[in-house]
This record gives sequence, C-alpha cells and structure tokens, in this order.
Amino acid sequence: MSKEKIKINREFYDIMPKEYQELVEDATYGKEGRGWKDVGESKEMIEEHSLCAGCPESIAFRYVLACLPNPEDTVMVGSTGCTSLVFPHVAVHNIHSLFGNQNAVASGLKRALSYRFPDKVKDVVVLAGDGATVDIGLDMTLQSWFRQEKIATICFDNELYANTGGQSSGLMQKGFVAKMAPAGKKFDKVDLPEIARQSGCHYVTMLTVSKPNRVEKAIRNAILIAREIGPTYVQLYTPCILEIGKQMMEGLQEMRDSEGPGKRFEFKEYISDEAKAYLESIAPKKKRKKVTAQTEG
Amino acid sequence: MYAVAEVIDEDCVAHKGCRLCIMYCPEANTILFDAEKKVAKVIEPSCKGCELCVVVCSAAKHNAIRLVHR
Ligand SMILES: Cc1ncc(C[n+]2csc(CCOP(=O)(O)OP(=O)(O)O)c2C)c(N)n1
Ligand code: SF4
Ligand code: SF4
Ligand code: SF4
Repeated sequence: MSKEKIKINREFYDIMPKEYQELVEDATYGKEGRGWKDVGESKEMIEEHSLCAGCPESIAFRYVLACLPNPEDTVMVGSTGCTSLVFPHVAVHNIHSLFGNQNAVASGLKRALSYRFPDKVKDVVVLAGDGATVDIGLDMTLQSWFRQEKIATICFDNELYANTGGQSSGLMQKGFVAKMAPAGKKFDKVDLPEIARQSGCHYVTMLTVSKPNRVEKAIRNAILIAREIGPTYVQLYTPCILEIGKQMMEGLQEMRDSEGPGKRFEFKEYISDEAKAYLESIAPKKKRKKVTAQTEG
Repeated sequence: MYAVAEVIDEDCVAHKGCRLCIMYCPEANTILFDAEKKVAKVIEPSCKGCELCVVVCSAAKHNAIRLVHR
C-alpha cells in the first residue's frame, strides 16, 4: 500500500486544504521502517489540537503516530478524555467509542475487518486514558485479553481523570492529592501490566515517553505481535502537568524523575515465548543468518 | 501578546545532527528541519509557547532557541 488511497484527483488538487496536500506529498504512509526519526523531516499525521501547551500526551501522540508500522491500514479506537481532543485531527482512521467501551469496539472491528479483508493486514490499535482503560472500561479491557483478541491496547497513564478536572483513577499513586481527590487516593496504584500478563497479553511494557526510541520499539512490538499472536498492552506515563501542578515546560523532567531504578515507571517489559519466537522470525535477515549458523554449527 | 519560540540560526547545531527540540516539542509539525539552511525552524502559528524546546536546547548547552513575544 502507498499513498494511492489518499491521492487527490488532479482537478480538485488546488481546492484541497494545504494540510491535506502536504499529507499526500510528504507523509510517510507506506514507508518501510518508518519511525520517530521521520519527525521534523516529513509531514506528521496530526494537525493542531487543543491539548494544553507542553502536555506530554501530545508528545506521546506524535511518537505513536510516527511509529505505526502500517498507518494506511490501521484503525485506531479512542475513548473519552484528553486523548479524544486529538483524534479528530489525526490522519489515521479512528473511531471514538463511548467512554470505556474501546476494547469491545476494537474487538468487533478487528473481527469485521478480517472477514471483509481476509487477505490484507489490518491493525487495530486502542489508545485511551487510564480512567477509560482501568476504571470505567476495565471489564472490556480484560475481557478482550481473555478472549485473545488480536488488538494492541495503549494506555496513556496520567494517573488521574484529567479531562474532567483531576479525579482519582485506579492508576493514581496511593496518597496522592488532586483537585477533585482532596482526601488523597486510598489504595495502591493498580498493577495493570501484571494483570495484563496474567490475563493473556503476549507483550506488555510500561515506560515513560522521555525516550522516543524506546516508545518506537514498544509500539512496533505491540502492534506486530497483536497482528500475528494475540493481545498486547503498552502503558505510557504521560503526566498531566496541569493537574499535578507542574509548569508547561516541566513534563519531560517529571517523566525522567519517575523512571529511574525503583521508581514507579521504571522500564518493564514482558514477551511470551510465542511472541519472542515470532519477533525473531521477522528480525532483519543478518541477525537471522547468525542464528541459523549457530544452530547448524 | 503571546510567546512563541524562535531559533537563533547561528547557534543551532542541527547540521551536526541535533534534533532535540524537534523531538521533544509536544506539537506536531511545529519545529521542522530546514534542509536548505541546515537549522531547526519554528512554524509560529502552531507553537504554543510551552518553552520545552528552550529547556532541552539549553540543557545541551546549545542555547539556540528562545521565546519571543508577538
Ligand atoms: C460514560 C461516561 N462517563 C463519564 C464521562 C465523563 N468523562 C469524560 S472524560 C472523563 C475522564 C477521562 O479520564 P482518562 O480516561 O484518565 O483520560 P485523561 O483525560 O486523563 O487523558 C470522564 C469521567 C463520560 N464522558 N462518559
Ligand atoms: S488537562 Fe492534563 S492531560 Fe489534559 S491536555 Fe492538559 S495537561 Fe494534558
Ligand atoms: S535543540 Fe537547539 S541546537 Fe538542537 S536543533 Fe534545536 S535549536 Fe538547534
Ligand atoms: S515553545 Fe513549545 S510548542 Fe513552541 S516550538 Fe517550543 S516546544 Fe514547540
């Protein structure tokens, strides 16, 4: 696939918005090995949106969209929250589900797409906030994992309900006080990565978005494994600078401060044996040769 | 009056491969690599003035980007 799908009819070219023309000319649809390094030198698939200045969710969105292995044949499923303010400005097919329903909608969509396009690769990627993933949508999240739906679930964990003013979520730290959680969070941060592993996810990782190359690896692994093997889960720390009282330029430092050894967002990764074998089978040829040479020797 | 970022072309080391501001700016398509001049370039209308680019550029001791008022 390439830009065929979005190509503009010559007669209409001049009346199309400049942003659309740029997408057709300069975006990386169909580019082999696309990734975060393309940013700044090719058109990104996000237009201006209304997230707060400096919001790390906004940084995360850039990386996720730059790293989708197959954006032209991907459908993203979003949910209510700050992320839903970005989706209308994203140049990848996406569906806005009712708050919490995202993994149920994605399951149905994935099945429908595989009936409709049996010979094509179609990736279904859920992207939702922690309130949607862990509280109100937990039932749908878990059931999709139990059923081994071939979808990738990405959670933008900002540890609270940002879009409604800072209520506590299951992923908030114990004791944390927010504007709409004045008594402090009463129980521990839910260990969703561990629950994901126990619920049948074949790839689980948790990290901040302070290092784009790591985010790229996580997103690619999650989508490729979901395509062939089964459900995957990526939890990204995207602090809500507004609700935790940080200045707009402090988001990156907040992520760096939270990812060191023993900190709550220390890098974590789990890959099932089946998924590991699959990743090895699609690894660049050079490496594969070495593996065969070793086994033969 | 509002603040936007501005690159100081003479101090920018994008020609040596620096992409820090481009990488960490939260807004898409807002700091681009100017292939002709080999410097970073701010697309002013989409800059929200968050100052993150200034933070990363000065932490790397390049000091090649600043906020200006419009
Ligand atoms: C069914 C339903 N319940 C409640 C709401 C109100 N609501 C809108 S956004 C939101 C919080 C979203 O929090 P989260 O998923 O953590 O995303 P964030 O905004 O933090 O990125 C809530 C409760 C809603 N829109 N629909
Ligand atoms: S409220 Fe928080 S999460 Fe939402 S856009 Fe603002 S900083 Fe980002
Ligand atoms: S971080 Fe500074 S030196 Fe590096 S590309 Fe940006 S403006 Fe230039
Ligand atoms: S001030 Fe913020 S929005 Fe503007 S260019 Fe710098 S990082 Fe991007």
